[in-house]
Amino acid sequence: MIGTYDFCGHYEWTFAWLEAAGGEQLLQEYWTEAIGEDAQKHAAELIQGQGFEGMMKYWGHTLAEESPEKGYHMTQSPSMVRCDMHDCPSKGFLIKNNLQQYKDYCDHCIGWLRPVLEQAGFRIDHEHNHQGQCWWEFREHENPSPASETGEVSGQHDVRHLPHWPQKEHDRFPEKSDSKTSQ
Amino acid sequence: MQRDKTSPLPYQDNKPQGSADFYFAVNATFRFILKKRGVSGWISYLRDMATEYYRPVWTAWREDGLPAVATYLQAAFDAEPQAKFKIEETEETVTLHVIECPALKHLKSAGREIVPEFCQHCYHQYGTMASNAGLHMRLRGGNGSCTQTFSRMAPAEQNLNEIHPVR
Repeated sequence: MIGTYDFCGHYEWTFAWLEAAGGEQLLQEYWTEAIGEDAQKHAAELIQGQGFEGMMKYWGHTLAEESPEKGYHMTQSPSMVRCDMHDCPSKGFLIKNNLQQYKDYCDHCIGWLRPVLEQAGFRIDHEHNHQGQCWWEFREHENPSPASETGEVSGQHDVRHLPHWPQKEHDRFPEKSDSKTSQ
Repeated sequence: MQRDKTSPLPYQDNKPQGSADFYFAVNATFRFILKKRGVSGWISYLRDMATEYYRPVWTAWREDGLPAVATYLQAAFDAEPQAKFKIEETEETVTLHVIECPALKHLKSAGREIVPEFCQHCYHQYGTMASNAGLHMRLRGGNGSCTQTFSRMAPAEQNLNEIHPVR
């Protein structure tokens, strides 16, 4: 059976299969429809119904299951939720097992999350370094605040403090941008 | 990480079992591919995955035969949350009795709509892996419990109607 222990491995393999079958468009449809609207519909329901509280509940459950070593930190304020991922269990599994079929596994998170968040009235600032570290900030669409400076929101837990944060190429997703920019 | 050659599992994780919520994505992936590419596209997806992604597994089966099948199935199902199963070995066969499928248990308990073809995926996946290893696999039952038989000798052709749709 296609199981859960190595889910991230065959999930990543599936990205490459879909891209070969139908290009980037089919892959984005997969993230939007199969993951965001189907597999993770409980996330959409929580976030649409409860906003920031729903985000904390969703990631509280999901990350506790996937990252029992707690390689992450969630911060909630009245105007935003921030996630600092220090040791992504999903990307970490791929790195440890030397698995890569698709060019950028990390894109799947923004691929399914952005449609879900936008439909719920939120926007995303995000950056990942392709080595299992990333940060996310979620604000309401109407909130014009830019992404926070290092340490401003999550203090010592800010992933940008990590000495290995600068490694490798970074992808940054600015607010209301349809394309990622590498730094 | 170097591959742990003492483990029959080709890929290693820090956790002893995966998160059951991943079954949501497996089921949703099947639904998506069935919708976009039809049954033949879905079968191609499963066979391609069996041949490519699971190459380390069926390569071990081809080298070490049915004992490698048994040790893999034991480890793979041990790593699934709440799987209830039993494995029987003879010189000519390995039989996996899935007493309670962990995927269907979790999907049903969460109230998820499950693709009717779900149980066929084990046949297309393991059947392809067995074929690549010079073995055979047949499946009977489904919808929560099934019997999967791996053999050296070719049995009668698989009748997909013997695999129960999920209801």
